[in-house]
Amino acid sequence: MCSAMSELSTDPSSATPEGRSVIHDLGYRPYTGPRLGPAAIARALLVTGFRNAFGLGRSGRSKVLPFILLGLNILPSVIIGGVMVLVGLKELPIGYAQYASTTQVLLGIFVAAQAPVLFSRDLRHGTISLYLARPLPSATYAIARWGALLGATLVFLVSPVVILYAVALLGELDVSDQSRDAAVAAGMAVLLALALAGVAGLIASWSTRRGFAVVATIALLLLGNGIVTAIQAIAGEEHHARVGEVAGLFSPYSLYRGLMAMWADGDIATPPTGVPMQTAYVVVFVGLSAACLGGLVWRYRRVATA
Amino acid sequence: MPTRNPAPLTPPLNPTILRLSRQALLGRRRGLVLVIIPTVLLALAVIVAALTDDAVGYESVLTLGYTLALPLVALLAATAVLGPEVDDGSIVYLISKPVSRHVIALSKFAVAWAATVVFGGLPLLVAGLVLDSGDTRQAVAWGVAGVVAGTAYTALFIALAAFTRHAVVIGLLFALLWEGLLGSLLGGIKWVSIGAWGRGVGHDVSGQLTGPGTGLTYALVAAVLLTVAALWFTGDRLRSFTLRGDE
Repeated sequence: MCSAMSELSTDPSSATPEGRSVIHDLGYRPYTGPRLGPAAIARALLVTGFRNAFGLGRSGRSKVLPFILLGLNILPSVIIGGVMVLVGLKELPIGYAQYASTTQVLLGIFVAAQAPVLFSRDLRHGTISLYLARPLPSATYAIARWGALLGATLVFLVSPVVILYAVALLGELDVSDQSRDAAVAAGMAVLLALALAGVAGLIASWSTRRGFAVVATIALLLLGNGIVTAIQAIAGEEHHARVGEVAGLFSPYSLYRGLMAMWADGDIATPPTGVPMQTAYVVVFVGLSAACLGGLVWRYRRVATA
Repeated sequence: MPTRNPAPLTPPLNPTILRLSRQALLGRRRGLVLVIIPTVLLALAVIVAALTDDAVGYESVLTLGYTLALPLVALLAATAVLGPEVDDGSIVYLISKPVSRHVIALSKFAVAWAATVVFGGLPLLVAGLVLDSGDTRQAVAWGVAGVVAGTAYTALFIALAAFTRHAVVIGLLFALLWEGLLGSLLGGIKWVSIGAWGRGVGHDVSGQLTGPGTGLTYALVAAVLLTVAALWFTGDRLRSFTLRGDE
Protein backbone atom coordinates (compact mmCIF):
# COMPACT_ATOMS: atom_id res chain seq x y z
CA MET A 1 0.00 0.00 0.00
CA CYS A 2 2.69 2.43 1.09
CA SER A 3 4.99 1.58 -1.79
CA ALA A 4 2.12 1.99 -4.23
CA MET A 5 1.47 5.48 -2.88
CA SER A 6 5.08 6.59 -3.24
CA GLU A 7 5.21 5.17 -6.75
CA LEU A 8 2.14 7.16 -7.64
CA SER A 9 3.50 10.41 -6.27
CA THR A 10 6.58 10.28 -8.50
CA ASP A 11 4.29 10.39 -11.51
CA PRO A 12 4.19 14.05 -12.66
CA SER A 13 0.63 13.65 -13.88
CA SER A 14 -0.70 12.38 -10.58
CA ALA A 15 -3.14 14.50 -8.66
CA THR A 16 -0.71 15.23 -5.82
CA PRO A 17 2.84 15.78 -7.11
CA GLU A 18 5.72 14.95 -4.81
CA GLY A 19 6.32 17.43 -2.05
CA ARG A 20 2.87 19.02 -2.43
CA SER A 21 -0.17 18.32 -0.39
CA VAL A 22 -3.81 18.88 -0.97
CA ILE A 23 -6.76 18.57 1.37
CA HIS A 24 -8.75 16.22 -0.79
CA ASP A 25 -7.08 14.16 -3.47
CA LEU A 26 -9.90 13.06 -5.71
CA GLY A 27 -7.40 11.43 -8.04
CA TYR A 28 -8.12 13.64 -11.05
CA ARG A 29 -5.24 14.18 -13.42
CA PRO A 30 -4.07 17.81 -13.21
CA TYR A 31 -2.86 20.05 -15.99
CA THR A 32 0.89 19.56 -16.48
CA GLY A 33 1.48 21.50 -19.71
CA PRO A 34 3.28 24.83 -19.93
CA ARG A 35 1.57 27.69 -18.11
CA LEU A 36 1.57 30.94 -20.10
CA GLY A 37 1.82 34.23 -18.28
CA PRO A 38 -0.17 37.47 -18.43
CA ALA A 39 1.45 38.37 -21.74
CA ALA A 40 -0.10 35.39 -23.48
CA ILE A 41 -3.49 36.09 -21.88
CA ALA A 42 -3.32 39.71 -23.05
CA ARG A 43 -2.35 38.59 -26.55
CA ALA A 44 -5.25 36.12 -26.71
CA LEU A 45 -7.62 38.79 -25.39
CA LEU A 46 -6.41 41.24 -28.02
CA VAL A 47 -6.88 38.81 -30.90
CA THR A 48 -10.29 37.61 -29.68
CA GLY A 49 -11.41 41.18 -29.13
CA PHE A 50 -10.33 42.20 -32.61
CA ARG A 51 -12.19 39.26 -34.14
CA ASN A 52 -15.27 39.93 -31.98
CA ALA A 53 -15.37 43.54 -33.15
CA PHE A 54 -16.21 42.22 -36.60
CA GLY A 55 -18.47 39.49 -35.24
CA LEU A 56 -15.95 36.74 -36.05
CA GLY A 57 -16.18 33.95 -33.50
CA ARG A 58 -19.68 35.16 -32.56
CA SER A 59 -23.10 34.28 -33.93
CA GLY A 60 -23.90 34.86 -37.56
CA ARG A 61 -26.38 37.60 -36.72
CA SER A 62 -23.70 39.69 -35.04
CA LYS A 63 -21.51 39.53 -38.15
CA VAL A 64 -24.15 41.27 -40.23
CA LEU A 65 -23.87 44.77 -38.82
CA PRO A 66 -20.07 45.31 -38.79
CA PHE A 67 -19.68 43.88 -42.25
CA ILE A 68 -22.55 45.96 -43.69
CA LEU A 69 -20.91 49.07 -42.20
CA LEU A 70 -17.49 48.03 -43.52
CA GLY A 71 -19.02 47.34 -46.93
CA LEU A 72 -20.77 50.73 -47.01
CA ASN A 73 -17.48 52.37 -46.04
CA ILE A 74 -15.51 50.62 -48.78
CA LEU A 75 -18.20 50.94 -51.47
CA PRO A 76 -17.42 54.57 -52.48
CA SER A 77 -13.71 53.77 -52.89
CA VAL A 78 -14.55 50.83 -55.16
CA ILE A 79 -16.92 53.01 -57.18
CA ILE A 80 -14.28 55.72 -57.45
CA GLY A 81 -11.80 53.12 -58.59
CA GLY A 82 -14.19 51.82 -61.22
CA VAL A 83 -14.98 55.30 -62.51
CA MET A 84 -11.27 56.14 -62.68
CA VAL A 85 -10.55 53.04 -64.74
CA LEU A 86 -13.50 53.53 -67.09
CA VAL A 87 -13.13 57.27 -67.64
CA GLY A 88 -9.35 57.26 -67.47
CA LEU A 89 -8.85 60.03 -64.90
CA LYS A 90 -5.29 61.09 -64.21
CA GLU A 91 -5.84 61.91 -60.56
CA LEU A 92 -7.97 60.62 -57.72
CA PRO A 93 -11.25 62.59 -57.43
CA ILE A 94 -10.95 62.44 -53.62
CA GLY A 95 -7.84 62.71 -51.46
CA TYR A 96 -6.78 59.77 -49.30
CA ALA A 97 -7.07 61.79 -46.10
CA GLN A 98 -10.34 63.41 -47.18
CA TYR A 99 -12.03 60.02 -47.50
CA ALA A 100 -12.31 59.44 -43.75
CA SER A 101 -13.72 62.93 -43.30
CA THR A 102 -16.39 62.26 -45.95
CA THR A 103 -17.49 58.96 -44.43
CA GLN A 104 -17.29 60.17 -40.83
CA VAL A 105 -20.91 59.25 -40.09
CA LEU A 106 -20.27 55.60 -40.96
CA LEU A 107 -17.03 55.63 -39.03
CA GLY A 108 -18.75 57.08 -35.97
CA ILE A 109 -21.57 54.53 -36.11
CA PHE A 110 -19.11 51.64 -36.51
CA VAL A 111 -16.98 52.68 -33.54
CA ALA A 112 -20.01 53.52 -31.40
CA ALA A 113 -21.77 50.25 -32.23
CA GLN A 114 -18.77 47.95 -31.76
CA ALA A 115 -17.29 49.51 -28.63
CA PRO A 116 -20.10 48.13 -26.38
CA VAL A 117 -19.40 44.67 -27.83
CA LEU A 118 -15.90 44.86 -26.36
CA PHE A 119 -16.48 46.92 -23.24
CA SER A 120 -20.09 46.70 -22.02
CA ARG A 121 -20.89 42.99 -22.23
CA ASP A 122 -18.31 41.76 -19.71
CA LEU A 123 -19.37 44.43 -17.25
CA ARG A 124 -23.10 43.90 -17.69
CA HIS A 125 -22.99 40.11 -17.38
CA GLY A 126 -20.35 40.14 -14.62
CA THR A 127 -17.94 38.01 -16.64
CA ILE A 128 -15.30 40.65 -15.96
CA SER A 129 -14.61 38.95 -12.60
CA LEU A 130 -13.68 35.75 -14.47
CA TYR A 131 -11.08 37.62 -16.51
CA LEU A 132 -9.71 39.37 -13.46
CA ALA A 133 -9.48 36.05 -11.56
CA ARG A 134 -6.64 35.13 -13.95
CA PRO A 135 -3.13 36.46 -13.39
CA LEU A 136 -4.08 39.48 -15.48
CA PRO A 137 -3.91 43.03 -14.14
CA SER A 138 -7.03 45.10 -14.75
CA ALA A 139 -4.92 47.65 -16.62
CA THR A 140 -3.77 44.98 -19.08
CA TYR A 141 -7.37 43.92 -19.65
CA ALA A 142 -8.36 47.53 -20.36
CA ILE A 143 -5.43 48.08 -22.73
CA ALA A 144 -6.04 44.79 -24.55
CA ARG A 145 -9.71 45.67 -25.13
CA TRP A 146 -8.78 49.18 -26.23
CA GLY A 147 -6.13 47.76 -28.57
CA ALA A 148 -8.72 45.45 -30.12
CA LEU A 149 -11.08 48.36 -30.79
CA LEU A 150 -8.17 50.43 -32.11
CA GLY A 151 -7.22 47.63 -34.51
CA ALA A 152 -10.79 47.26 -35.76
CA THR A 153 -11.12 51.02 -36.26
CA LEU A 154 -7.83 51.08 -38.15
CA VAL A 155 -8.97 48.30 -40.48
CA PHE A 156 -12.16 50.31 -41.07
CA LEU A 157 -10.20 53.51 -41.76
CA VAL A 158 -7.27 52.18 -43.75
CA SER A 159 -8.96 49.67 -46.06
CA PRO A 160 -10.50 52.33 -48.37
CA VAL A 161 -7.13 54.11 -48.46
CA VAL A 162 -5.48 50.86 -49.53
CA ILE A 163 -8.09 50.32 -52.25
CA LEU A 164 -7.68 53.87 -53.56
CA TYR A 165 -3.88 53.47 -53.47
CA ALA A 166 -4.05 50.19 -55.37
CA VAL A 167 -6.30 51.76 -58.02
CA ALA A 168 -3.97 54.76 -58.28
CA LEU A 169 -0.96 52.51 -58.80
CA LEU A 170 -2.76 50.27 -61.30
CA GLY A 171 -3.86 53.43 -63.14
CA GLU A 172 -0.16 54.39 -63.39
CA LEU A 173 -0.39 57.63 -61.46
CA ASP A 174 2.87 59.05 -60.11
CA VAL A 175 4.11 56.46 -57.61
CA SER A 176 6.10 58.75 -55.29
CA ASP A 177 3.30 61.35 -55.02
CA GLN A 178 0.64 58.73 -54.36
CA SER A 179 2.82 56.85 -51.87
CA ARG A 180 3.50 60.02 -49.90
CA ASP A 181 -0.17 61.05 -49.82
CA ALA A 182 -1.31 57.57 -48.85
CA ALA A 183 1.32 57.36 -46.11
CA VAL A 184 0.21 60.73 -44.68
CA ALA A 185 -3.42 59.55 -44.76
CA ALA A 186 -2.46 56.32 -42.99
CA GLY A 187 -0.62 58.26 -40.29
CA MET A 188 -3.63 60.53 -39.78
CA ALA A 189 -5.88 57.47 -39.71
CA VAL A 190 -3.83 56.15 -36.77
CA LEU A 191 -4.31 59.44 -34.88
CA LEU A 192 -8.05 59.48 -35.57
CA ALA A 193 -8.45 55.81 -34.63
CA LEU A 194 -6.57 56.43 -31.35
CA ALA A 195 -8.95 59.23 -30.41
CA LEU A 196 -12.16 57.47 -31.51
CA ALA A 197 -11.28 54.16 -29.84
CA GLY A 198 -10.49 56.02 -26.63
CA VAL A 199 -13.69 58.08 -26.56
CA ALA A 200 -16.01 55.23 -27.58
CA GLY A 201 -14.32 52.76 -25.25
CA LEU A 202 -14.56 55.09 -22.28
CA ILE A 203 -18.27 55.73 -22.83
CA ALA A 204 -19.00 52.04 -23.41
CA SER A 205 -17.18 51.08 -20.21
CA TRP A 206 -19.25 53.57 -18.23
CA SER A 207 -22.60 52.57 -19.66
CA THR A 208 -23.50 48.93 -19.56
CA ARG A 209 -26.62 49.47 -21.65
CA ARG A 210 -25.67 48.87 -25.26
CA GLY A 211 -28.17 51.17 -26.96
CA PHE A 212 -27.49 53.99 -24.58
CA ALA A 213 -23.72 53.79 -25.08
CA VAL A 214 -24.20 53.93 -28.85
CA VAL A 215 -26.38 57.04 -28.76
CA ALA A 216 -24.17 58.77 -26.19
CA THR A 217 -21.05 58.14 -28.30
CA ILE A 218 -22.76 59.33 -31.48
CA ALA A 219 -24.11 62.39 -29.69
CA LEU A 220 -20.64 63.26 -28.43
CA LEU A 221 -18.89 62.63 -31.77
CA LEU A 222 -21.38 63.92 -34.32
CA LEU A 223 -23.22 66.56 -32.30
CA GLY A 224 -19.85 67.85 -31.08
CA ASN A 225 -18.62 67.91 -34.65
CA GLY A 226 -21.82 69.61 -35.81
CA ILE A 227 -21.50 72.34 -33.20
CA VAL A 228 -17.84 72.92 -34.03
CA THR A 229 -18.63 73.02 -37.75
CA ALA A 230 -21.41 75.57 -37.15
CA ILE A 231 -19.10 77.76 -35.06
CA GLN A 232 -16.34 77.49 -37.66
CA ALA A 233 -18.70 78.42 -40.49
CA ILE A 234 -20.04 81.44 -38.56
CA ALA A 235 -16.52 82.48 -37.49
CA GLY A 236 -15.38 82.23 -41.11
CA GLU A 237 -18.24 84.48 -42.26
CA GLU A 238 -17.62 86.98 -39.47
CA HIS A 239 -13.84 87.02 -40.11
CA HIS A 240 -12.93 85.80 -36.64
CA ALA A 241 -10.84 82.88 -37.90
CA ARG A 242 -9.13 82.46 -34.53
CA VAL A 243 -12.44 81.59 -32.83
CA GLY A 244 -13.03 78.84 -35.38
CA GLU A 245 -9.50 77.52 -34.95
CA VAL A 246 -9.90 77.28 -31.19
CA ALA A 247 -13.35 75.68 -31.57
CA GLY A 248 -11.74 73.03 -33.78
CA LEU A 249 -9.83 71.71 -30.77
CA PHE A 250 -13.01 70.38 -29.18
CA SER A 251 -14.00 67.50 -31.43
CA PRO A 252 -11.99 64.55 -32.83
CA TYR A 253 -13.39 65.05 -36.31
CA SER A 254 -12.58 68.77 -36.43
CA LEU A 255 -9.08 68.02 -35.11
CA TYR A 256 -8.73 65.56 -37.99
CA ARG A 257 -9.91 68.19 -40.47
CA GLY A 258 -7.41 70.65 -39.03
CA LEU A 259 -4.57 68.17 -39.52
CA MET A 260 -5.89 67.46 -43.00
CA ALA A 261 -5.62 71.15 -43.88
CA MET A 262 -2.07 71.14 -42.50
CA TRP A 263 -0.63 67.95 -43.96
CA ALA A 264 -2.85 67.04 -46.90
CA ASP A 265 -4.99 69.14 -49.17
CA GLY A 266 -8.37 69.90 -47.74
CA ASP A 267 -10.48 73.00 -47.97
CA ILE A 268 -12.01 73.76 -44.57
CA ALA A 269 -13.58 76.88 -43.09
CA THR A 270 -10.89 77.89 -40.60
CA PRO A 271 -7.66 75.88 -41.00
CA PRO A 272 -5.19 76.18 -38.08
CA THR A 273 -2.64 78.86 -38.88
CA GLY A 274 0.67 79.53 -37.16
CA VAL A 275 3.01 77.03 -35.53
CA PRO A 276 1.55 77.30 -31.98
CA MET A 277 -2.00 76.56 -33.14
CA GLN A 278 -0.86 73.71 -35.37
CA THR A 279 1.15 72.24 -32.50
CA ALA A 280 -1.91 72.62 -30.26
CA TYR A 281 -3.96 70.55 -32.71
CA VAL A 282 -1.46 67.68 -32.62
CA VAL A 283 -0.97 67.91 -28.85
CA VAL A 284 -4.72 67.97 -28.11
CA PHE A 285 -5.34 65.08 -30.51
CA VAL A 286 -2.70 62.88 -28.86
CA GLY A 287 -3.57 64.15 -25.38
CA LEU A 288 -7.26 63.27 -25.85
CA SER A 289 -6.34 59.71 -26.79
CA ALA A 290 -3.96 59.38 -23.84
CA ALA A 291 -6.52 60.81 -21.42
CA CYS A 292 -9.20 58.40 -22.64
CA LEU A 293 -6.85 55.43 -22.29
CA GLY A 294 -5.94 56.62 -18.81
CA GLY A 295 -9.64 56.90 -17.98
CA LEU A 296 -10.23 53.34 -19.19
CA VAL A 297 -7.39 51.96 -17.05
CA TRP A 298 -8.73 53.87 -14.05
CA ARG A 299 -12.27 52.66 -14.67
CA TYR A 300 -11.21 48.99 -14.76
CA ARG A 301 -9.05 49.40 -11.69
CA ARG A 302 -12.15 50.58 -9.86
CA VAL A 303 -14.14 47.64 -11.24
CA ALA A 304 -11.39 45.25 -10.09
CA THR A 305 -11.28 46.63 -6.56
CA ALA A 306 -15.01 47.14 -6.17
CA MET B 1 -82.47 35.90 -19.80
CA PRO B 2 -79.55 37.80 -18.31
CA THR B 3 -78.41 40.74 -20.36
CA ARG B 4 -74.78 40.57 -21.29
CA ASN B 5 -72.75 43.47 -20.10
CA PRO B 6 -71.06 45.30 -22.93
CA ALA B 7 -67.27 44.79 -22.92
CA PRO B 8 -65.69 47.53 -20.80
CA LEU B 9 -64.05 50.15 -22.93
CA THR B 10 -60.28 49.90 -22.49
CA PRO B 11 -58.59 53.26 -22.32
CA PRO B 12 -55.96 53.67 -25.03
CA LEU B 13 -53.29 54.45 -22.45
CA ASN B 14 -52.35 52.51 -19.36
CA PRO B 15 -51.35 54.73 -16.41
CA THR B 16 -49.02 52.13 -14.85
CA ILE B 17 -47.09 51.62 -18.07
CA LEU B 18 -46.94 55.37 -18.52
CA ARG B 19 -45.39 55.74 -15.06
CA LEU B 20 -42.89 52.89 -15.52
CA SER B 21 -41.86 54.16 -18.94
CA ARG B 22 -41.35 57.64 -17.59
CA GLN B 23 -39.08 56.25 -14.89
CA ALA B 24 -37.11 54.22 -17.43
CA LEU B 25 -36.75 57.31 -19.59
CA LEU B 26 -35.67 59.77 -16.93
CA GLY B 27 -33.49 57.33 -14.99
CA ARG B 28 -30.16 58.76 -14.04
CA ARG B 29 -27.72 58.73 -16.97
CA ARG B 30 -30.17 58.39 -19.82
CA GLY B 31 -32.21 61.32 -18.55
CA LEU B 32 -29.00 63.28 -18.22
CA VAL B 33 -28.07 62.84 -21.89
CA LEU B 34 -31.66 63.57 -22.86
CA VAL B 35 -31.35 66.93 -21.09
CA ILE B 36 -27.77 67.63 -22.18
CA ILE B 37 -28.50 67.48 -25.93
CA PRO B 38 -31.07 70.35 -25.98
CA THR B 39 -29.05 72.27 -23.37
CA VAL B 40 -25.98 72.22 -25.59
CA LEU B 41 -28.07 73.33 -28.56
CA LEU B 42 -29.56 76.23 -26.61
CA ALA B 43 -26.14 77.21 -25.23
CA LEU B 44 -24.84 77.32 -28.80
CA ALA B 45 -27.79 79.48 -29.83
CA VAL B 46 -27.18 81.90 -26.93
CA ILE B 47 -23.45 82.16 -27.69
CA VAL B 48 -24.04 82.72 -31.40
CA ALA B 49 -26.74 85.29 -30.69
CA ALA B 50 -24.46 87.13 -28.27
CA LEU B 51 -21.44 87.24 -30.55
CA THR B 52 -23.06 88.06 -33.89
CA ASP B 53 -25.23 90.95 -34.92
CA ASP B 54 -28.06 89.92 -37.20
CA ALA B 55 -29.32 86.39 -37.71
CA VAL B 56 -26.03 85.07 -39.07
CA GLY B 57 -26.00 81.62 -37.56
CA TYR B 58 -29.76 81.08 -37.63
CA GLU B 59 -29.80 78.56 -40.45
CA SER B 60 -26.78 76.55 -39.34
CA VAL B 61 -27.80 76.28 -35.67
CA LEU B 62 -31.41 75.35 -36.43
CA THR B 63 -30.34 72.88 -39.12
CA LEU B 64 -27.98 71.26 -36.64
CA GLY B 65 -30.75 70.98 -34.08
CA TYR B 66 -33.25 69.68 -36.61
CA THR B 67 -31.13 67.14 -38.48
CA LEU B 68 -28.96 65.87 -35.62
CA ALA B 69 -30.26 66.73 -32.14
CA LEU B 70 -33.92 65.95 -32.87
CA PRO B 71 -33.37 62.42 -34.32
CA LEU B 72 -30.91 61.64 -31.51
CA VAL B 73 -33.42 62.69 -28.84
CA ALA B 74 -36.20 60.73 -30.54
CA LEU B 75 -33.95 57.68 -30.85
CA LEU B 76 -32.86 57.90 -27.23
CA ALA B 77 -36.44 58.33 -26.00
CA ALA B 78 -37.94 55.63 -28.21
CA THR B 79 -35.32 53.00 -27.44
CA ALA B 80 -35.29 53.90 -23.74
CA VAL B 81 -38.95 53.01 -23.21
CA LEU B 82 -38.70 49.64 -24.99
CA GLY B 83 -35.06 48.69 -25.63
CA PRO B 84 -33.79 47.74 -22.15
CA GLU B 85 -36.84 45.60 -21.43
CA VAL B 86 -36.41 43.69 -24.67
CA ASP B 87 -32.66 43.48 -24.02
CA ASP B 88 -32.84 41.88 -20.57
CA GLY B 89 -36.01 39.93 -21.27
CA SER B 90 -38.14 41.59 -18.58
CA ILE B 91 -40.62 42.52 -21.30
CA VAL B 92 -42.24 39.09 -20.79
CA TYR B 93 -43.49 40.20 -17.38
CA LEU B 94 -45.15 43.17 -19.01
CA ILE B 95 -46.75 41.33 -21.91
CA SER B 96 -47.97 38.52 -19.66
CA LYS B 97 -50.38 41.01 -18.12
CA PRO B 98 -53.94 41.19 -19.46
CA VAL B 99 -53.28 44.46 -21.23
CA SER B 100 -53.68 44.84 -24.96
CA ARG B 101 -50.29 44.89 -26.67
CA HIS B 102 -51.45 47.83 -28.72
CA VAL B 103 -52.22 49.71 -25.51
CA ILE B 104 -48.70 48.89 -24.31
CA ALA B 105 -47.24 50.18 -27.57
CA LEU B 106 -49.39 53.30 -27.49
CA SER B 107 -48.58 54.06 -23.82
CA LYS B 108 -44.86 53.70 -24.43
CA PHE B 109 -45.12 55.85 -27.53
CA ALA B 110 -46.98 58.56 -25.59
CA VAL B 111 -44.12 58.84 -23.07
CA ALA B 112 -41.39 58.82 -25.72
CA TRP B 113 -43.34 61.31 -27.83
CA ALA B 114 -43.72 63.73 -24.93
CA ALA B 115 -39.98 63.52 -24.27
CA THR B 116 -39.19 64.11 -27.96
CA VAL B 117 -41.45 67.14 -28.10
CA VAL B 118 -40.05 68.64 -24.88
CA PHE B 119 -36.37 67.87 -25.47
CA GLY B 120 -36.27 67.88 -29.29
CA GLY B 121 -39.05 70.06 -30.71
CA LEU B 122 -39.42 72.77 -28.10
CA PRO B 123 -35.67 73.65 -28.04
CA LEU B 124 -35.91 74.38 -31.78
CA LEU B 125 -38.61 76.97 -31.09
CA VAL B 126 -36.63 78.48 -28.21
CA ALA B 127 -33.35 78.50 -30.20
CA GLY B 128 -35.16 80.25 -33.04
CA LEU B 129 -36.49 82.92 -30.66
CA VAL B 130 -33.06 83.38 -29.06
CA LEU B 131 -31.36 83.83 -32.41
CA ASP B 132 -33.93 86.16 -33.95
CA SER B 133 -36.59 87.36 -31.51
CA GLY B 134 -38.17 89.53 -34.23
CA ASP B 135 -39.25 86.62 -36.39
CA THR B 136 -41.59 84.59 -34.20
CA ARG B 137 -43.25 83.01 -37.19
CA GLN B 138 -40.05 81.35 -38.38
CA ALA B 139 -39.27 80.04 -34.91
CA VAL B 140 -42.78 78.57 -34.67
CA ALA B 141 -42.29 77.01 -38.10
CA TRP B 142 -39.15 75.25 -36.89
CA GLY B 143 -40.99 74.14 -33.76
CA VAL B 144 -43.87 72.73 -35.81
CA ALA B 145 -41.45 70.99 -38.16
CA GLY B 146 -39.70 69.54 -35.12
CA VAL B 147 -42.93 68.23 -33.61
CA VAL B 148 -44.12 66.67 -36.87
CA ALA B 149 -40.77 65.04 -37.62
CA GLY B 150 -40.26 64.12 -33.96
CA THR B 151 -43.62 62.30 -33.88
CA ALA B 152 -42.80 60.24 -36.96
CA TYR B 153 -39.22 59.56 -35.79
CA THR B 154 -40.40 58.37 -32.38
CA ALA B 155 -42.99 56.03 -33.88
CA LEU B 156 -40.50 54.63 -36.38
CA PHE B 157 -37.80 54.09 -33.76
CA ILE B 158 -40.23 52.39 -31.36
CA ALA B 159 -41.21 50.02 -34.15
CA LEU B 160 -37.52 49.35 -34.80
CA ALA B 161 -36.91 48.71 -31.10
CA ALA B 162 -39.71 46.15 -31.07
CA PHE B 163 -38.42 44.58 -34.26
CA THR B 164 -34.67 44.20 -33.70
CA ARG B 165 -31.94 44.42 -31.11
CA HIS B 166 -29.98 46.66 -33.44
CA ALA B 167 -32.69 49.32 -33.41
CA VAL B 168 -30.30 52.06 -32.32
CA VAL B 169 -27.78 51.45 -35.08
CA ILE B 170 -30.42 51.02 -37.79
CA GLY B 171 -32.15 54.17 -36.57
CA LEU B 172 -28.87 56.06 -36.72
CA LEU B 173 -28.18 54.75 -40.21
CA PHE B 174 -31.65 55.90 -41.29
CA ALA B 175 -31.46 59.36 -39.73
CA LEU B 176 -27.81 60.18 -40.42
CA LEU B 177 -26.86 58.20 -43.51
CA TRP B 178 -30.09 57.86 -45.47
CA GLU B 179 -31.63 61.26 -44.63
CA GLY B 180 -28.43 63.17 -43.97
CA LEU B 181 -25.62 62.09 -46.28
CA LEU B 182 -27.59 60.42 -49.08
CA GLY B 183 -30.44 62.92 -48.75
CA SER B 184 -28.08 65.74 -49.65
CA LEU B 185 -26.83 63.83 -52.71
CA LEU B 186 -30.02 62.25 -54.03
CA GLY B 187 -32.92 64.70 -54.29
CA GLY B 188 -35.54 61.95 -54.57
CA ILE B 189 -34.98 60.92 -50.95
CA LYS B 190 -37.14 63.88 -49.90
CA TRP B 191 -40.18 61.71 -50.68
CA VAL B 192 -39.12 59.07 -48.14
CA SER B 193 -37.41 61.20 -45.52
CA ILE B 194 -39.05 62.12 -42.22
CA GLY B 195 -36.91 65.25 -41.93
CA ALA B 196 -38.16 66.47 -45.30
CA TRP B 197 -41.80 65.90 -44.31
CA GLY B 198 -41.36 68.00 -41.18
CA ARG B 199 -39.75 70.75 -43.24
CA GLY B 200 -42.65 70.55 -45.68
CA VAL B 201 -45.12 71.26 -42.88
CA GLY B 202 -42.88 73.95 -41.37
CA HIS B 203 -42.56 75.63 -44.78
CA ASP B 204 -46.30 76.11 -44.81
CA VAL B 205 -46.11 78.02 -41.51
CA SER B 206 -43.29 80.32 -42.56
CA GLY B 207 -41.80 80.69 -46.03
CA GLN B 208 -38.44 81.48 -44.42
CA LEU B 209 -38.01 77.78 -43.74
CA THR B 210 -37.01 76.27 -47.07
CA GLY B 211 -39.27 73.34 -47.82
CA PRO B 212 -38.28 70.25 -49.78
CA GLY B 213 -41.02 70.86 -52.32
CA THR B 214 -43.17 67.84 -51.61
CA GLY B 215 -46.22 69.88 -50.74
CA LEU B 216 -48.04 70.17 -47.40
CA THR B 217 -50.64 67.48 -48.06
CA TYR B 218 -48.12 64.81 -49.00
CA ALA B 219 -45.88 65.66 -46.03
CA LEU B 220 -48.73 65.48 -43.52
CA VAL B 221 -50.30 62.34 -44.96
CA ALA B 222 -46.95 60.58 -45.14
CA ALA B 223 -46.04 61.51 -41.55
CA VAL B 224 -49.44 60.45 -40.15
CA LEU B 225 -49.45 57.24 -42.20
CA LEU B 226 -45.97 56.28 -41.06
CA THR B 227 -46.78 57.02 -37.41
CA VAL B 228 -49.98 54.98 -37.42
CA ALA B 229 -48.42 52.09 -39.34
CA ALA B 230 -45.35 52.03 -37.09
CA LEU B 231 -47.48 52.01 -33.93
CA TRP B 232 -49.72 49.25 -35.21
CA PHE B 233 -46.61 47.27 -36.18
CA THR B 234 -45.13 47.76 -32.70
CA GLY B 235 -48.26 46.39 -31.07
CA ASP B 236 -48.31 43.52 -33.53
CA ARG B 237 -44.67 42.66 -32.83
CA LEU B 238 -45.34 42.68 -29.09
CA ARG B 239 -48.32 40.38 -29.74
CA SER B 240 -46.11 37.80 -31.46
CA PHE B 241 -43.04 38.42 -29.36
CA THR B 242 -40.33 35.77 -29.13
CA LEU B 243 -37.41 36.00 -26.75
CA ARG B 244 -33.94 35.57 -28.13
CA GLY B 245 -30.71 35.09 -26.23
CA ASP B 246 -27.91 37.58 -26.21
CA GLU B 247 -25.71 37.43 -29.27
